[in-house]
Order: sequence, then C-alpha cells, then structure tokens
Amino acid sequence: MLVLKLGWRNLWRNTRRSLITIAAVATAFFFLILLVGMTMGLKDQLLANGTNLMLGHVQLHNPDYLPDRGLYDTLGGRQGVDPDLSSQIEEKFTAVKAAAPRVYGFALLSTGEHSAGAQLIGVDPEREARVTTFLNTLHTGQPLAAQAQGGILLGEGLAEELRAQIGGEVAALTQAADGSLGNALFAVRGILRSGLSHVDKTLAVVHVSDLQDLLVLPPQRIHEIVLSLDDPMQADALTEQLNADSELPEQVEAASWGDLSPQLRDYLAMFESSYGFIIGLIAIFAALGILNTMLMAVFERSREIGTVTSLGMLPEQVLFSILAESFFLSLIGVAAGLGIGGWAMNYLSTSGLDLSRWMGEMAIMSTRMDPVIRFQWNWEMTSWAGLTLMAASILAAAIPAFRAARMDPVKAMAAAKGV
Amino acid sequence: MNSKRSLAVVLFVLAALSVLAAPSHKAGTPGLLPLYAWGMAGDTDLDPVEIIDKVDRMMRGESSQGRVEMTVVTEHWTRSLELEIWSKGKDKALIRILAPKKEEGTATLKVGRDIWNYLPKIDRTIRVPSSMMMGSWMGSHFTNDDLVKESLLAEDYNIKVVYEGVRNEEDGTVWELELLPKPEAPVVWGRILIQVRQRDLMPIWSRYYDEDDVLKRTLTFHDYREMDGRLVPARFRLEPADKSGEYTEMVYHELHFNIDIPDRKFSLSQLRR
Repeated sequence: MLVLKLGWRNLWRNTRRSLITIAAVATAFFFLILLVGMTMGLKDQLLANGTNLMLGHVQLHNPDYLPDRGLYDTLGGRQGVDPDLSSQIEEKFTAVKAAAPRVYGFALLSTGEHSAGAQLIGVDPEREARVTTFLNTLHTGQPLAAQAQGGILLGEGLAEELRAQIGGEVAALTQAADGSLGNALFAVRGILRSGLSHVDKTLAVVHVSDLQDLLVLPPQRIHEIVLSLDDPMQADALTEQLNADSELPEQVEAASWGDLSPQLRDYLAMFESSYGFIIGLIAIFAALGILNTMLMAVFERSREIGTVTSLGMLPEQVLFSILAESFFLSLIGVAAGLGIGGWAMNYLSTSGLDLSRWMGEMAIMSTRMDPVIRFQWNWEMTSWAGLTLMAASILAAAIPAFRAARMDPVKAMAAAKGV
Repeated sequence: MNSKRSLAVVLFVLAALSVLAAPSHKAGTPGLLPLYAWGMAGDTDLDPVEIIDKVDRMMRGESSQGRVEMTVVTEHWTRSLELEIWSKGKDKALIRILAPKKEEGTATLKVGRDIWNYLPKIDRTIRVPSSMMMGSWMGSHFTNDDLVKESLLAEDYNIKVVYEGVRNEEDGTVWELELLPKPEAPVVWGRILIQVRQRDLMPIWSRYYDEDDVLKRTLTFHDYREMDGRLVPARFRLEPADKSGEYTEMVYHELHFNIDIPDRKFSLSQLRR
C-alpha cells in the first residue's frame, strides 16, 4: 500500500512532466483506438463487399457441385431436399440471419437476331434479398415478383448485348435435365448494375420455380442454399458445426466464405496483420517516451533514493514504488486516451470518415469501396492495444527501477551532490 | 500411279464424308452421301485438284432429303428423336424434329456459317451465337460447329496413308489415313484417323484427336445399304472418349438424292412453318 501511495505521490512531484507523459500515452492510445477502429471498419467493409453482393457467408452444396456446377449435382443428390430447407435452417441455427435457395443453369438467351450465353440464376426474391444485395443493384425497371411470373432481370452488359429493353421479351434455350431442349420466354423486368463487369455481362436472374421449369427439375432439386450470418467471422465455426454434427441432410455440404473465396480470406488476414504491425510500432514509440520520463525521474531522485534506502527502505519497495508510478502514469494516459478515443469513435462509427474528397472512387480487389469508412469498435483489439501500451510502459520503467533498487545509498547520495 | 490416284479420290471422299456425312450428319450431310457413290465409280484418272473441283461442283448441285432416328444416350438420360433432314449444296440444311410429340416442330436451319433454332413451344427463332458453336446440338454429342463446318478436310489437312491391308476378314483390305492440320488451318482437331475399306470405299470408323493427341471421340459406321440407288452407311454412332457409355446414334430410315428443293425451303419463314 505504501508503495502505491509513494508511486502516486511521486507522480505529482513534477506535474508538468507527468502531464506531458500522460498526454503522450493518451495520444498514443487515442491513435491506436482510431487505427483499430479504422482497420476493423475497412475489414468489415472489405468482407461485406466480398460477401454481401452474391457470395453470402456460408453456402450449402452437393459435395460434387463445385467447381463444375453440374446441372445434376443438386443438394441431396437425385432425391433432392425439402424445398423448405432454407427456412428450416434459419429456424434451427440462431447464428443464421437468413437463408435463400438458388438454382443455376447455363442458357442461350435471345431476342431474335441477338443472342448471348448467360448464367441463369433462379432465386426466391424475398429470401434472396435478405441474404445478398445483388437484387438491389437494380439500375432501371422493376424487381422480380415474389411469385414465379416469367420475369427476368438482366445484367447491364448482357442486356446491351441482347439489345433487350425493359418490357421486351427474351427467349431462353438450354439443355434440360431430361435431355430435351428446354425453352421459355421471359419478360424483361429490370436491368441490374452490380458494378462488377464479369457479373453484369453474364448475369440473368429469374424466379427459382421458373428456372426449375425451364431445366425440367422438380421443386426439391436446388443447387445451392446461401446463408448470411449476423457475424461473418463465425462462418467457419458454423460451417464446422453444420458438417460435423450431421445437422444437414445427406449429400449436403457447407462451405464458409473463406473456403469459397480463399483469396478474400488471405487478403483480410494480410490486411489485419499489416495493421497489427503498425499498432505494435505505435505502442513501442509510446513506451520509449515513458522510458525516457522514468529514467529522468529516477536520475533526479538519486539522492532521495539513497536517503530512503539508508533509512531502511527495502530495495523491493524502491523498485515497486517506481513501477507503481509508471503504472499510474500509463493508466491515466490510457484512460484519457480512451475518453477522447471513445468520443471520436462515437462520431466516426456512426457518421464515418468521408474520404471521397481526397480519393474519389476506390476499388480494392476489384470491388467498389465505399469512400466513407465507418469505424468499428473492436473491444478485444482495443483492450489488447491498451494493455500492450501499459505493459510496455511498466516494462520501460522497470529498467531505471531496477537500477534505483540496486543503488548503493552512499554513492547515490554522493552522485546527487555532484548534480 | 493408278492406285495413288484412286487413293486421292478416296481421301477426298473421306474428307467430304467425315466433314459432312459424319460429324455433321445431323446437319443434313446426306447431301454429301452421294460422294460415296461417286467414289465407287472409280474415276481414278483425275488428279487431286480436278477431283476437288469436280466434287465441289457436284456437291453444290447436290441435294437430299431423309428421315433419321437419332438416339442420344448419356449418363443421366436416354432419348430418341425422329428427324427429317433436307440439304442442298454444302451450305444449306434444314432439320426438323417429327417425334416425340413434346418436341415436334423444333427445327434447325443452317445457312452458311449461321444456325438458327426454331422452338414451337414459344414460337421463337434463336440464332446460335459464335460463342456457342462448340455447344451441343439438340442435346446430342454433335456440336453446332459440326453442323456449320463447310471446309473440306482435304483443304485443311495434309493426308497420308498410314496403313493398307487386312484388319479383319469382313472388311477386307482397308486403308487407314492420317489427317494432320495444315499450319494455318482453322480446325478443331489435332489429328484425325480414318479407316476405309477398299472394296467399296465405305468408311469404317474415324477417330478425332485434340492438339495434345488425346482421343476425343470416335465415329463408327454400320449397316451399309443402298438407299435411293447409292450405297451408304445407314447407321453411324459418335462416342465421346471421356464419357464412357455415352453415345449419339443416327439411323437413316429413308434417304433420297437429287430431289428438287427450292431455295426458300432454307429460309427463316420455312423454319417456323
């Protein structure tokens, strides 16, 4: 107790110097908080950009479906699965926010003279809208009706190639599952502009039932169920759970966004670790500042330390009183940093940091980035940053503290006189 | 010398045959079937250029009409279609599905390098874009490209005899010819091997290899019969090498040559009929 008291009192003997040091620690922590917040915000945005449009967070397939996307490799194999599997999964797993079924088929689309190959995706419009956003990229026209009505949405590039107009019709021709020449007419309801050229050039969206009719597939045969989660970082854990506990029907396999897009996972990991490195560097600089302060403090107090030691103060007490001083110093600094950092984060996490004035449109990994970065609290990383800062401060003080504790009282007092 | 010339004739026949009668048979290849008969005629004193010229003219004037049963067997389904085929020259063909009921009236028109499919269910005509030329024709193992190919093998390939002799008693003496693409030739195959029997110049099989010399598909000919006065293989079967058990087989039930077909038969309006 005495040691803590000593440390606390020593702290305020040179108020100005202590305040400057506290300010340094506070500033360092403030920036760390913002850096963590920005890193997390950017990471969230990168992840959202990579998954929200079409990928989702977890996908269910027949184990043979990828990468060839064979028409016959439907969930559950030839028997298929319960057409309501999506809603069952939604109910059964609390981590799952929403689930949507999809059917895929390659088809030749034509408006007469103009024809083009297209990747048809059959969706349940209501469910799909709760899982991904590509249906929201409607550029012109109407969204798909909730019920199958023979409507089609075309990617912008595809629509151009077909010279398709909203309200016009498009004939689809494909190899159906029974070997026949599946064909149907669709009414063009809307044009999609996702911003990703490879998607816009080949994407055509219809109602899942319409596509099943075209492909001569019964309702229980679907190719994919896409899940969105409340926390995308739980995707791997959920995937493991789904696959391990035979929670899924036969011939249904789950894969997380990281399994489906390893480059996205790698990119995020690289992004996170590079920012972790910067955060570590800032912590080291802050620690060096504290080291300097504490060295000065101990040096200044040589005479006094000699005196208290010769009066019977134990070296450990000397050591711990200095460490306590440093502890208080960093604690106040971190608390102050947290205060202003929290205030700034409060603003930046809601309004976001608008970079559009400086960088205009940004694209990372060929996906469009929102120029407004919404900072994201991450208590784990923030606590670690704060603890690292405090540990670094205390460790930095340990060097002069040990020196002080080992000082020969006589020499210490003599040295002080020399000053 | 004489045998060499007759060989050239055979080669030519084969060329035409494998381009038209064979893979593109569905394309209304019957138009070329007459070539077999021509080959048999043994016009062996012509040199290769004359032969080509003669055959070209002959083909242009040629026309045919026939009924074919096409059976397609894949891992997932088996189906059988009855087709009627008209052809004129080497660049015009019309194929219409007669049965089953569900697909009756579905038709393909080929004029030059263009292919249109007519679908009665939706009453629309769809032009096959060039990007889909390697896609399956009507669900068979033939591609759209097989249908439109007009160039003669003799033009695109260097041809030589790699075997001459008796492989089995039934076929008697056969030739085996190797076709290697000329440097600039716009062809799909890296190598084609064709076996022909000398007795009547009937093809027995042809094998198609890709650029890496991997066998991709085999076409075999059967049931040599006289139809409308000409000897033809009335049945042939295409088997992809990478999908064991799958095949597409065409059987001619009826075939007529040199009939008068007006050009308007090969028009979009006739396609819809």
